[in-house]
Amino acid sequence: MAELTLKTLTKVYTQAQSPAVDQLNLAVRDGEFIALLGPSGCGKSTTLRMVAGLESVTSGEIRIGNKLVNDLHPKDRGVGLAFENYALYPPLKVRDNLAFNLRAHGLGAKEINRRVDEIARTLQIQELLDLKPAALSSGQKQRVNMARAMVRRPSVLLLDEPLSHLDARLRVELRTEIKRLHAEQRFTTIIVTHDQLEAMALADRIAVMNEGVLEQFDTPLEVFNHPANEFVAGFLGEPPMNIFRTVVADAGRLVIPDTDFALPTTPAVKKLIGSRKELKLGIRPWGIRVSQTQTDGSVPGVIVVVEDLGDETRVGVRYSEVLIMSSIPVTRRYRPGLPVFLNFNEEDLNLFDPTTGERLSDGSDGSSQPAHETVGKNEIQAPVTR
Amino acid sequence: MASIQLSGLTKFYGKRRGVEDVSLEVGDQEFLTVFGPAGAGKTTTLNLIAGIVTPDRGSIRIGDKTVDALEPADRNVAMVFESYALYPQFTVYQNMAFPLRSPKHRLPATEVEQRVRHFATMLKIDHLLDRQIQALSNGQRQRTALGRALVRRPDVFLMDEPLSHLDAKLRHSMRAELKEMRSQLGTTTIYVTHDYLEAMSLGDRVAVINQGRILQVGTPEEVYFRPATVEVAQLFGDPEINLIEAKIRSRQSTSVRVQALGEDWSFPITPEIGSALDKLPGDNVQLGFRPADVMVGVNGNSSLHGVVYSFEPLGTKSVLTIDSVAGQRVRALVDGHRTFQVDRRIEFSVPSASLIFFDPESTRYLVRSTRTEGDD
Repeated sequence: MAELTLKTLTKVYTQAQSPAVDQLNLAVRDGEFIALLGPSGCGKSTTLRMVAGLESVTSGEIRIGNKLVNDLHPKDRGVGLAFENYALYPPLKVRDNLAFNLRAHGLGAKEINRRVDEIARTLQIQELLDLKPAALSSGQKQRVNMARAMVRRPSVLLLDEPLSHLDARLRVELRTEIKRLHAEQRFTTIIVTHDQLEAMALADRIAVMNEGVLEQFDTPLEVFNHPANEFVAGFLGEPPMNIFRTVVADAGRLVIPDTDFALPTTPAVKKLIGSRKELKLGIRPWGIRVSQTQTDGSVPGVIVVVEDLGDETRVGVRYSEVLIMSSIPVTRRYRPGLPVFLNFNEEDLNLFDPTTGERLSDGSDGSSQPAHETVGKNEIQAPVTR
Repeated sequence: MASIQLSGLTKFYGKRRGVEDVSLEVGDQEFLTVFGPAGAGKTTTLNLIAGIVTPDRGSIRIGDKTVDALEPADRNVAMVFESYALYPQFTVYQNMAFPLRSPKHRLPATEVEQRVRHFATMLKIDHLLDRQIQALSNGQRQRTALGRALVRRPDVFLMDEPLSHLDAKLRHSMRAELKEMRSQLGTTTIYVTHDYLEAMSLGDRVAVINQGRILQVGTPEEVYFRPATVEVAQLFGDPEINLIEAKIRSRQSTSVRVQALGEDWSFPITPEIGSALDKLPGDNVQLGFRPADVMVGVNGNSSLHGVVYSFEPLGTKSVLTIDSVAGQRVRALVDGHRTFQVDRRIEFSVPSASLIFFDPESTRYLVRSTRTEGDD
C-alpha cells in the first residue's frame, strides 16, 4: 500500500488533437479510494492505463510511494489491475488463474496456496476455485477478476469499470462488496467509471474529468453539493440538476424572461452576482419544495407533468423553454394544470457564470475560480484534510 | 384512435419462447407500458401487433377489426425504435414528411407542411427542420424519430425503448417531456421499456412481462405497492426490495408476533391482513419491504438490531447495508445528510404499513396494509 502522486501528467496521441490527458495533478493518500469519473473520452481510462504502465507518458510524473515509476515495466510497479472485461485464462481453473502471476513472480507453492485461499475467502469465491472461467456467471467472473488483481497485494489497486458489464442487481451487490472490502483492507484504489452513483458510493474522493482536464477533486458530498462548475453540476445527480439561464432583473431578482419565474435574492447572493446581467441557476430536484400556498420568495407556476415513481413524486413546472423538475415525498395532491408555488432554499442554489460555467464564489465577481477550489457561497464547509 | 385487444398471443422461435398466451386489452387513448428485463418478450409483443412477426396462435384486434390477416402497412400503426432509423442524407423536415409521401398515405403538400410544422413545434425541433440528421444530437434525433411517427396520425403508436440510447440525464428530461406531451397526443400507445422508472412514469397502466408471460397488468401504484408476485416486486425499485422469511409466533386480532431476521418482533395488523394470514396453511410468510421504508435508529423505538456492513452515499440519499442478527442483509435508503460507520451497531425498524405479505410457497401476493402511497 502506498500513496500515488500524479504531477502534470500529460498524454498526447497526435499533435493534431488536444491532449487526451492534460496536466493532471492528483495526490492519492495511502489507503484512499479515488474515483476517476467522467464521460467517455474524458481521459480517465488513459490516466489509469498510464499508471498501470500500459500506456506511455508524454510528460509529467507518476510516483507510487516515493518512487518515480514512469519508465518501469507494468509488472514492476506493484499495481493490481482489474478490467471491465475479465481477461481470465479460459483453460485454467480459478485457482490457477489467481496463482498465475504469483508463480511468475517466483513465489513458493505453499505461500501461493495460502494467499489464494486468503483472497478467495475475502471475496467469497472459495467454492469456485476448482471451476474454469466458462462455468462462472458474470458476477462470479468479476469477483475472480478482482481477486486476481488483489492477490499480489499491490501497492495500488486499479479498477477499470469493473461493474459496468453486470446487470443492475449484481452491480449494486458487488458495489456494496467492493465498498466493504475497502473498508476492511484499505488498499489504495483507483476506480475508473462513467457511473456517477458508483463513484459517489465507493470513493473517498472523486476526480471529475472532462476532455482530459480535471474539473474538480473532492469528497463525494462536496462535489455533489458544491460543484465547481456547470459541467460537474450536470454530470452528477440523478435525476439531474435543473440548470437554466436567468436574467438579473431589478432588485437582484433572477428572472426567466417572459415567464412568471422571478426569484428574489438575499444580500449574500446579490454580492455573488456582482455586476452580472445574466447567470446560470442550478438547483437539484430535491432542493425544491412544492406548495399550494404562497410564501415569501416563492415562485408561482403551473404543473405540466407529474411522475409517480413509488418512493417519490416528481413534479414539473414549465417556464417557456425551461422545465423545472422537483422531487418530493410521495403525494397524490398534485396533477397537471394545478397552480402551485415553488420554494427554493438559498443554500441549495448553485450559481454559475453564464460564459465560463464556473461556480460563483466570494470575491470572484466575474473572474473564474481555479477548478480545484470548491468554495461554497455559504461559507460553512466540511473540513477536508489534505 | 382505437382500442387494442390481444387474445392468447403465442410465438415460439424454434424451441425458444418469444411470448406465450399473452392476453391484454388497451383502452382507446390509453398509454400502456410493457415492462420487463432483456429477453422478456416485450419486443416480440410489439412486433406481433405491428404485423412484423406472425403469431403461432392467438388474435389481435385494433379498434373493431381483427388485423391478423393485414399487412403491417395496412394496420395503421406507427413504430418508434430505440435506433432511430432516420435517413441520414435527409433533413429533419424530409425525414418527418417521408411517411406522408408514401403512396399509401400521400397527402397534399400544404397539408404535409402543416402537419410537420405542428409536430415539430410540439417536439421543440421546429428550429431544426432544415438541419441534416448528422448535425443533430442524440436527443434531437430521437425527437425527429418521434415526429416522423406522429405526423401519420396513426391509430396506434408502438414505441420500442425510444429513450434507452440516451444518456441518463437526457433520459430523465425526455421522459418528463414525453409525459407532458401525452395529453396533446391522445393516441393509443404501447411503450416497451426495461426501465421501471419509465414504465411507472409514463404508463396509465403497466404490463409486467418476463420469460414470455405476463406477470401483472395494473396501474403504476398497483404494480409497485401490490406486486402480484415476489418477482414483480423485485423488478421495481433500486436498490431492490428487501425480502425476508418470517415465522408467525402468535397472533392477536390487531397484532402479530413474528420471528424474522433472527429476532422476535411484533407489529399491528389490519383485519384484512389477519384474514389473509388465517388462510395460510403454515406459520411461515414472506415479507417484502422497500429500502426507502426502513427506519434507521430514530427515537429509540426501533425493534430490530444489526451492524453496518457497508455505507454508500449517493448524494441526496445513501444506501446502508445492514447485517441483521440472523446475518441476512437488509438494505435501507437513508437521508444523504446522515453518515454511518462500518461495523457500528445500529437499531432499525420496518413500519408495518410498508410490509408486503407474500405466500412463501407460491411467492404470490397476499396482502398489505391499505394505509399506503402517501394518501393525504
